[in-house]
Amino acid sequence: MTLLSAQKISYSINDKKLFHGLSFNVQNGEALHVKGSNGSGKSTLLRILLGITPPSKGKIERSNPDLKISYLGHKNAIKNYLTPAQNLELLFNESELGIALKWLRELDLSSVQEELTSNLSFGQKKKLALIRVLAKPQELIVLDEPFVGLDQDASQILNNFLVNQLSNQVSLIFTSHIHPDVECKVLDLSNNSA
Amino acid sequence: MLRLISIESFKLFRKLKSWLGPLLILVLVLVAFPLSIDISQYDLEKFYFSIIVVSLLMTAFVATEGMFEEDFEDGSLEQEFLIEKDFYKLALCKIIVYVLLIGVPIAFIGSIFSFANGVAIGSFPKVFLLLSLSNLLLFNLFAFGNSLSINKGAMLGVLSSLPLALPIIILLGRAIRSVQFGDGFSEMIALMAGVGLIVSALMPLIISAALKTHID
Repeated sequence: MTLLSAQKISYSINDKKLFHGLSFNVQNGEALHVKGSNGSGKSTLLRILLGITPPSKGKIERSNPDLKISYLGHKNAIKNYLTPAQNLELLFNESELGIALKWLRELDLSSVQEELTSNLSFGQKKKLALIRVLAKPQELIVLDEPFVGLDQDASQILNNFLVNQLSNQVSLIFTSHIHPDVECKVLDLSNNSA
Repeated sequence: MLRLISIESFKLFRKLKSWLGPLLILVLVLVAFPLSIDISQYDLEKFYFSIIVVSLLMTAFVATEGMFEEDFEDGSLEQEFLIEKDFYKLALCKIIVYVLLIGVPIAFIGSIFSFANGVAIGSFPKVFLLLSLSNLLLFNLFAFGNSLSINKGAMLGVLSSLPLALPIIILLGRAIRSVQFGDGFSEMIALMAGVGLIVSALMPLIISAALKTHID
């Protein structure tokens, strides 16, 4: 079943076309790897698919207008003046918090869970932000460069999680310069600007 | 909605500078003003209310400065958009929390200072109500200003919305005179409460549209 369908979408900034006439579908349980050089519009395409940014032309159709989406972009959406544990309390309700704390331990962040997030390293902040996706997977997971900043263990955990979610019919759209160990369609934006 | 209110309260409470700063500014102005003039030359109680009004404007201005900026910078607005599809609830909850945690304490301190400077103690509830409603209007207004320019420094937008605060100041001035002379107070309060309710219902819609243009 088609979860999301892009029909001839184009996007331009100041008369510069980032991409044009893109059409593709994402089925249930399918992964789409959006590739391209820096500035080719990968992140913009993700934001268009999420409905955050409107496309210059074309349209996005979803099987369900209330499609539940987990998203992690360039911005981590975590509060630096709170501890990791407090950040999780903001993100999750009581029933979900246990799972989130389990991921916190899994990602080796339990030793810093009571420290201020502003004191954490870039990679630790990235791991903390990833828990938003890991502890509450939805029908569609959208990730923008999810492996940047992660150590080998965390990358492997994320990779296994994504494989597991795909087998549970969760769909995945991601950008990454690192090719993960998941079976996926590839959309290359490098040669799409005109 | 309640969860959003509790989240915003928790966040604001943790940001000491955001809520304590405006309160300290208010206290500082209200304490420093009588010290800086020769009280024997003036009838302080006649114009002390004006100082409270200006302090109110200033503290509301400072309190709302970073209302949406932080959520914009760290990507929380995008996450909120994916869940709610707009920012109406977020804007409404933020304004409620800011009014309750900063606006009401400011009104309380302002009321204490007003009767400490010659206003009858019996007028305390009236003054408190008046200042609280004024803060509701001012916080709505400056929240709108904040949402206009979050990507260029929120203060710019708050400054641009400052002229819109003038009618509120005029209304507050009239209401204060009604407290001083005991005439038409209920009518003024009813007017301010009515305007406050309408503004509180409509302003989050406008703020929501402004925030959406910023994350596009």
